[in-house]
Amino acid sequence: MLRQALRSGAESFYLPDFCSSRAALGIVLIVELTAILLALARQGGAPGAAPDFWAELARASLFLLWVGLVCAALLCWSRKRLERLTVARGSAAVLLLLSAAIAAISAAAYFIGRSQLAIGAGTAAFFPSTAGPFLLRNVAIGFVIIAIALRYFYVTHQWRRNIEMRAAARVHALQARIRPHFLFNSMNTIASLTRSDPVLAEQAVQDLADLFRASLSDQRQTITLEEELEVARTYQRIEELRLGGRLHVNWDVDRLPRDARVPGLLLQPLIENAIYHGIEPRPDGGTVSVVGELAGELITIIVRNPVAERQSEREGNRLALANIRERLALLYGDIALVKAGRFEHEYIVTLRFPHVSAQQKA
Amino acid sequence: MLKVLIVDDEPPARERLRSLLAEIGDTEIVGEAGGGAEALSQAGALSPDVVLLDVRMPGMDGIEAARHLSTLEEPPAVIFTTAYDQYAVNAFETRAVGYLLKPIRKEKLAAALAQADRLTRPQLQRLAAAARAERRTHIAARNREGLRLIPIDEVQYFFAEQKYTTVRHLRGEDLIEDSLRALEEELAPDFVRIHRNALVAVRHLDRIERNAEGQYFVRLRGSEAPLAVSRRMAGELRERFRL
Repeated sequence: MLRQALRSGAESFYLPDFCSSRAALGIVLIVELTAILLALARQGGAPGAAPDFWAELARASLFLLWVGLVCAALLCWSRKRLERLTVARGSAAVLLLLSAAIAAISAAAYFIGRSQLAIGAGTAAFFPSTAGPFLLRNVAIGFVIIAIALRYFYVTHQWRRNIEMRAAARVHALQARIRPHFLFNSMNTIASLTRSDPVLAEQAVQDLADLFRASLSDQRQTITLEEELEVARTYQRIEELRLGGRLHVNWDVDRLPRDARVPGLLLQPLIENAIYHGIEPRPDGGTVSVVGELAGELITIIVRNPVAERQSEREGNRLALANIRERLALLYGDIALVKAGRFEHEYIVTLRFPHVSAQQKA
Repeated sequence: MLKVLIVDDEPPARERLRSLLAEIGDTEIVGEAGGGAEALSQAGALSPDVVLLDVRMPGMDGIEAARHLSTLEEPPAVIFTTAYDQYAVNAFETRAVGYLLKPIRKEKLAAALAQADRLTRPQLQRLAAAARAERRTHIAARNREGLRLIPIDEVQYFFAEQKYTTVRHLRGEDLIEDSLRALEEELAPDFVRIHRNALVAVRHLDRIERNAEGQYFVRLRGSEAPLAVSRRMAGELRERFRL
């Protein structure tokens, strides 16, 4: 389940895989329920004129099982192609494809039923004398039932996806918390400062406490962008003590709306990664730059750091990005965007999400 | 008096070691370095008894620095320090190599200094593998002035002759003590064996030639002399590089 959610990005098509026996069983169930519904519907009318329920059910089942299994086979066969379409187009394609299949099967059933051989067996009574209305009625019933089934699959799929995303976000939140490497190095820095500069040591302890409070807080709760910027700056202060003059951070965030609602620990992990992968490995250090813009109702924040020539993508970095991506998506859906990649000698992460003021909170 | 060299890229960490050493007494801090390369030049000049060596440093890390230190005529004892590094700590534990966890306790530092040991080269080589240390960035050659560091990117080939290995690089030639086999294991796939006695940098390979007797040779960029390729390696080499 987790791996599925991690694959995120491309949304998988919502229909189950009809090539599996489990889905085929589901089809048989839907078919039988429809057959019962149809047989029951015929029971009305004048007493005596009503056909026998069981015979009616058997006939309807025979016909509908053909329809159901052919439809399943078609969905199994066309799955690869459907996956490439959007939800709306895919659904329309399924409706058209299956309606055509129903029309074809109905036509086949009609001609077999009306053939000389079958008339001899007494089946002619079940078919009207012209094919038109028979076909039309079957396609119409099929269309409605397929539409209901599609809707059902779509809703279940969305519901499952939501649960998976929440689970993944929780796991990632746990993994994305403060690195032990950072914790122990900071402790060492504080141990050193306690002797040489007690005032600075006191400030470092307070900063570390604030940072841990932020990382332990419930990540489902949102905070204001101002609060998150402060957490990121607190982190920067601790790292500056440790790395001395090697670390520079350029903040260009005055244009950002301070009251914007964001998930907690949105920026701090990005700054942490930028320092861990971009600054620490360089003997001469470097500059991390953070630029924030507000265009219309969209907030864009870009974090850049220099990268070494041969550096490869690291596990920790991907986890942090996946976590931020999920939490932004839970809050803002598809409007939120997280992009990351290296461009020449820089690693650039871009966040984009709508400006929703914390007061507007529903 | 024990002569100690402190190596750590973080100034507060160095400061803490200074004050702890002052309290322990009977030690003399002969120098401080902020990185691996600096540590090597200081160690050559100051000949410390013990080097306190941080594992994670930018540029050349502690484990590589220790490997180069071991090639010195009088190699110092080494005590590694680290804040958090699972692989390195496991490697130190299983090989009984001295290490200290930050924040370092005074008693533990004193105990480590009392029993600090020199590390042998094979021991360090195995340690580097177990600690999943990054590949060495330099090859160290000992000369009259101390250690000469040759960036691996500048090495054209290694050539084995009896007891020594010659490293040919863009700025000349040096003798080193590493065996060709160990170098091949460590530097693959950037270096390939072309003969029992030669290991060549792939990035400096230019072309492969064949003379009238059917003997193959490779030519390296910026090097005039061709190197003989053994018959066994010739086919493999041509296939791999489409030369």
